[in-house]
Amino acid sequence: MATYDFLFDTLGLRDWCGAEQSGGLSSMADLMGQAGGETETTIWDLPFPSLDALNEACSSVPQSRDLTRGLERGFLDIKDSLKVVVDPLTQPLSWALENALWVMQAVPWWIMIPMLMLVTWGVGRSGKLVALVAACFGFLAFIDFYDHTMQTLAIIFVCAFICVLLGVPIGIAMSRNDRVQKALIPVLDMLQTLPPFVYLIPLIFLFSVTEPKLYGIAIILYAIVPVVRLTDLGIRLVDKDVIEAADAFGMTKRQKLLGVQIPLALPNIMAGVNQTIMMSLAMVVIASLVSAPGLGVLVLRGIRSLELGVGLLSGLGIVLLAIILDRVTKAALARINAEQKS
Amino acid sequence: MSDDIKISVRNLYKIFGDDPQSALEKVRTGTGKAELQRETGHVLGLNDINVDMPTGKTTVIMGLSGSGKSTLIRHLNRLIEPTAGEVHVNGENILDYSERRLRRLRQNEMSMVFQKFALLPHRTVLENAGMSWAIEGKNRRQYVEEATTWLNRVGLEGQGEQYPAQLSGGMQQRVGIARALTSNSDIMLMDEAFSALDPLIRTDMQDLLIELQGELAKTVVFITHDLDEALKLADHLVILKEGFVVQQGEPQNILLNPNDPYIEAFVSDINRARVLRVRSVMEKTAQVPGDIAGEVDFNDTLESVIAVSQGDTTNNYRVMESGRQVGVLHMRDLVRALVPRKSDEEVAEGQGAH
Repeated sequence: MATYDFLFDTLGLRDWCGAEQSGGLSSMADLMGQAGGETETTIWDLPFPSLDALNEACSSVPQSRDLTRGLERGFLDIKDSLKVVVDPLTQPLSWALENALWVMQAVPWWIMIPMLMLVTWGVGRSGKLVALVAACFGFLAFIDFYDHTMQTLAIIFVCAFICVLLGVPIGIAMSRNDRVQKALIPVLDMLQTLPPFVYLIPLIFLFSVTEPKLYGIAIILYAIVPVVRLTDLGIRLVDKDVIEAADAFGMTKRQKLLGVQIPLALPNIMAGVNQTIMMSLAMVVIASLVSAPGLGVLVLRGIRSLELGVGLLSGLGIVLLAIILDRVTKAALARINAEQKS
Repeated sequence: MSDDIKISVRNLYKIFGDDPQSALEKVRTGTGKAELQRETGHVLGLNDINVDMPTGKTTVIMGLSGSGKSTLIRHLNRLIEPTAGEVHVNGENILDYSERRLRRLRQNEMSMVFQKFALLPHRTVLENAGMSWAIEGKNRRQYVEEATTWLNRVGLEGQGEQYPAQLSGGMQQRVGIARALTSNSDIMLMDEAFSALDPLIRTDMQDLLIELQGELAKTVVFITHDLDEALKLADHLVILKEGFVVQQGEPQNILLNPNDPYIEAFVSDINRARVLRVRSVMEKTAQVPGDIAGEVDFNDTLESVIAVSQGDTTNNYRVMESGRQVGVLHMRDLVRALVPRKSDEEVAEGQGAH
C-alpha cells in the first residue's frame, strides 16, 4: 500500500497508472516494508509527494532516477552533433595550450627565470617585486618543482589571455545594452557559483581526457566571470559628464569607446584581470583531475597516495605562485591608477 | 532682423516619461506641470519655448534649479531630443540632421563648456584643449599651435603638459574654455560654467569671458541661476520658470519693467545702482537743458553717477555716446529707478517678446 494511492484513486487515474500494483520490489523502503509487515502510517511519516513516492502509488509516474537518466541520455544524444560544432571551434585552444606548455618547458631555466623577472620589471617597475619573483621561482626550482610550476604558469597564461580576449568585448556589450546585461548576469552568476567539479562532468563526455582543451574550457568558463563583470561595471562607472562632453564635441561611438570609456575603465578592467588570473590558478589545481599538468598533479598525488610532504609542499608552491601573480598584476594596476591620478 | 539671429528655438516642448506624445496633447490643451505629474507621472521639462539668440551676442538663460535651463541648452546641440518643436541654427532645422551631419555641427559649429568641467582625466591639458581637432582625426602636431594659442589666451601659459587633476577648479575651467575656443566654432554653449567656482575666481572668469567676447564676438548661450552673473554678462536675457519663458529681452528693461511677481522677487535683491546704466533711465533728447552739472557716458552705471553727483538729487547731466549727446539724465529719475517698481497686472499679460 502506498501513501498516495488515494490521490490517483480520487482523480480517477487508476487506469492510466496501469493495474499491476504488486510488481517487483523497486526500492529499499519497499523491502523494509515487506520485512516489517504492514505498519500503520501516521501523519508524522507522511512523505513528500516526490517522484519516487508517487511512483510507489502509480507506476506510470517516472522515478527520479529516470529523470537523471533521461538527462544523461539527452546529453549523450546531442553529444555527437554538439561535438561537430564545438570541437573545431575549440581546437585552437588545444594547440595554444600544447604549444605554451612546450615553450615554457623547452626554454632552459637560465633564460626563463631572467625573462620572467624582466616581464615583472616591465609591468611593475619595482626592484622589490623582481626580487620576490626571483626568490619564489628560485625556491620552486630548488625543490625540483620547476617543471610543474612552468606547466601551471603556461596554462594560466593561455587561459587568462583568452579570458581577457573574450571577456572584455562581452563586458563592453553588457555595458552598452541593458538587455544584454540582464540576460548575461544570471549566466555569470551560475558560472561563478557552480561547483568547479561540475564543469568537468559534461566536458569529460564531450572530449577525450587526453585533450588539453578539456581543462582549458573548464578553466576559462570558471575564470572569465570577473573580467566580464568588472569591464561592464568599469564602463558604466565612467563619469557621465565626461561622456556628455565627448558627445557634445561630436565623438563617434567608436572614438568614445576607445578614447574615453576603455581608458577610464582600465583600473576596473585590470582589477578584473587580476581576479581572473587568481581564479584560473584555483581551477588549474582542480583540473589536474582531468589530466591538467602542473602543481595540481602533485597535490593530487599527495591526496591519492597520502604523501603528506608532497601535498603540503606543492600547496605552498601554489601559494607562492598566487602571491607572485597577484603582486605583479596589482603593480600594473597601481601604475595605471597613478597615471590617471597624477 | 532675422539675419542677426543665430539660433532660433520654435515651439519647443520636452516631456520626460514613458509616453510623452500623449502627455504632450494634454500640455497643449493647458495642463500645468504639477497637474501633469500628478495625473500621468510625466515631467514637463520645457513648455512651448520660443527664443531667438542673436549672432555675436551673449544670451543668458536664467532660472532656478528645475526650471529647465540645462534641458534647454542641451536641445541646442541635441544632447536631448525634444518632444516637439524646432531648433534652427544658421537657418537650418537641426532636428532634420542626420547623425553624421549632427556630429559635424557639434565638431565645427558649436562647442560646450560644462559646470563640472568634464575634461578627459587621462589626457594632458594640451590634448584636452585640442580635443575637437583630435576628434576630426588631426594629430597632435597639427593642433598644438592652435591649442597653445588659446591656452595662453585664457592664462594657462606653460601648463600644457599637466594633467587636469593637477590644476585647481578655476584653472580646469580655463582649460574647458580653451577647449571650446580651440574648436573655432561660432557658438559657445556654457552650462552653468562658473557655478562650481568660488566667488572671486568666478568674477575673474566672468571678466575673462567679457574680454573674450569683446575680441571674438561669438554667439554665447550662457546658463546660470545667479541674477548678478546674468545681468553682468547678458545682452539678451531669458528667464525660465518651471519650463516656460516668463520674460525675455534686454536685461535693463527686465530689471526696470518686470512683468511677473516671480521676476520681481528675483530682482528685488539686486544692487540696482551697480547694474542699471545711464542709458536705461535717461530721457532721450538732443536738446541741451539749461542747468547742466556735467557729462556722463551712456554706459556708466548709476552708482558711478551717484558718486559724481555726491548725492545731489537736483542735478541734471548730459549723456554722451562717443562724444555726441544722446540724452539727459535727471537725478530724480535715477533715484526713482533705484526702487523696484511693482508690476501692474496688465503688463504681466503680455509675456515674452519686448
